[in-house]
Amino acid sequence: MRFAEFTPYDIVLLLQGLGVTVGLFLITSLIGLLVGVLWGVVRFYRIPVLMQLVTFVSEILKNSPVLVQLFLVFFGFPAFFHVNVTPVQAAIVTLSANTAAFVYVIAVSSIESIGRDQVEAARVFGLSRWQVLRHVIAPQAAAFSIGPLTALLVNQLQVTSLISVIGVLDLAKIGATLNLRTLKPFIVWTAVGILYYLAAKAVASLGAWAEKRLRAHSAFRGL
Amino acid sequence: MLKVENVKKAFGPVTVLDGVNLTVNPGEVVSILGSSGSGKSTLIRCINGLEKLNAGKITVDDFDVSKPKELAEARKRSGTVFQLFNLYPHMTALQNITLAPIEVLKRPKAEAEAEGRALLTQVGLGDRADAYPAQLSGGQRQRVGICRALAMKPRYLLLDEVTSALDPEMTSEVLDILAKLAKDGTTMVFVTHEIEFARQISNRIVFLEKGVLLVDLPTEKFFAADGGLAQPRVAQFLSKMRKD
Ligand SMILES: Nc1ncnc2c1ncn2[C@@H]1O[C@H](COP(=O)(O)OP(=O)(O)OP(=O)(O)O)[C@@H](O)[C@H]1O
Ligand SMILES: [Mg+2]
Repeated sequence: MRFAEFTPYDIVLLLQGLGVTVGLFLITSLIGLLVGVLWGVVRFYRIPVLMQLVTFVSEILKNSPVLVQLFLVFFGFPAFFHVNVTPVQAAIVTLSANTAAFVYVIAVSSIESIGRDQVEAARVFGLSRWQVLRHVIAPQAAAFSIGPLTALLVNQLQVTSLISVIGVLDLAKIGATLNLRTLKPFIVWTAVGILYYLAAKAVASLGAWAEKRLRAHSAFRGL
Repeated sequence: MLKVENVKKAFGPVTVLDGVNLTVNPGEVVSILGSSGSGKSTLIRCINGLEKLNAGKITVDDFDVSKPKELAEARKRSGTVFQLFNLYPHMTALQNITLAPIEVLKRPKAEAEAEGRALLTQVGLGDRADAYPAQLSGGQRQRVGICRALAMKPRYLLLDEVTSALDPEMTSEVLDILAKLAKDGTTMVFVTHEIEFARQISNRIVFLEKGVLLVDLPTEKFFAADGGLAQPRVAQFLSKMRKD
């Protein structure tokens, strides 16, 4: 097959690609959120060694290109650790870790945004550190961080397109394949772009909705 | 009994409390006077375990606040009302009050809420239980702050300039409540600049000067010419406060 016209089946292909992109995005966001928040808790409790380790790892992840991290995991790990790494595994590990690093930064700054005076009050009334975190800090930190988190996730959705480079059949990779077959780059990349746009919009509106709910609790702040 | 024995506290090179001794018996109202920076807040913060002591010992009903295991018990016995209220902004007035009873004393939620509402009614806020702190006036916030402390049924109430962030009208609504608590026999350690009020409600008045407890006298004696006023620093302080 040289090049050929579009077929209705191409729509299915694009939607499959979109499914892979969204699926990987959801999985890696979830893992990234959990790990990033966990790192934030490590820092909150000032657990020695672990805390320094977390800061170090997140610094490295934040300050190096995702593409380099991806190549390291996909090509470097098999060579060095003698393990098998599939493209999807490499994508999940890399994107999750990268998301976690940025979630950690947001978690730390939102925990620090909570006034010391309230925390002291809660401690004086006998709440444990964990109870303070759970009842006083976490609800306010969540409301504070939802905006930056949404912005981060919208960005991470775009970043997933990098994984097409190592052969994951995501939306960008399907776009590249269709482009090669039809030689109609304008139509193909417009369609792919619109699909990314719609997915990003969905993430953003989900974030806005969550923000409204969390802030309903804190509308009193007049924010 | 609340006992402060030879307590020393320094921040770096600055000594803030220099060998303070103070005993507060159940049922007593003890006011702490002293000029700004004399260490009054620091003393309160040492009693409720927010600051570590450099030397000396503080016990609340024999529970040593310097020992982590005993601090929890000590804290259950003392309740603090803060100058700037320190309410949890994301919780309603009622939730502010019931958080510690539910989480720390493990009281059933319904019971804690019923008691919280009763306390709010006592301070004239029965209809504001579901308001958030930002929706309340300063005086109302401080009344919630008092209810939050009382909800833990403390044996000792620690109050650090609880009216100094309030305008005169709000001040009197808060002081009225404290006067009533004093009359009902609540034990209080009361840091204040409201000299006249302190005189009305206190059994004893202590005067702190540069981290040293200069005077510890029954109220009448404190204001007597041959008592507290015989101390030049006290006389000076009182005349200055009265002029302001
Ligand atoms: N965390 C701290 N670090 C360093 N110095 C402190 C700290 N807290 C208090 N101080 C110092 O300790 C001294 C006593 O402060 P404190 O707040 O106890 O005074 P105070 O008697 O409550 O004064 P005021 O009437 O103005 O409230 C002050 O000189 C203050 O600068
Ligand atoms: Mg003070």
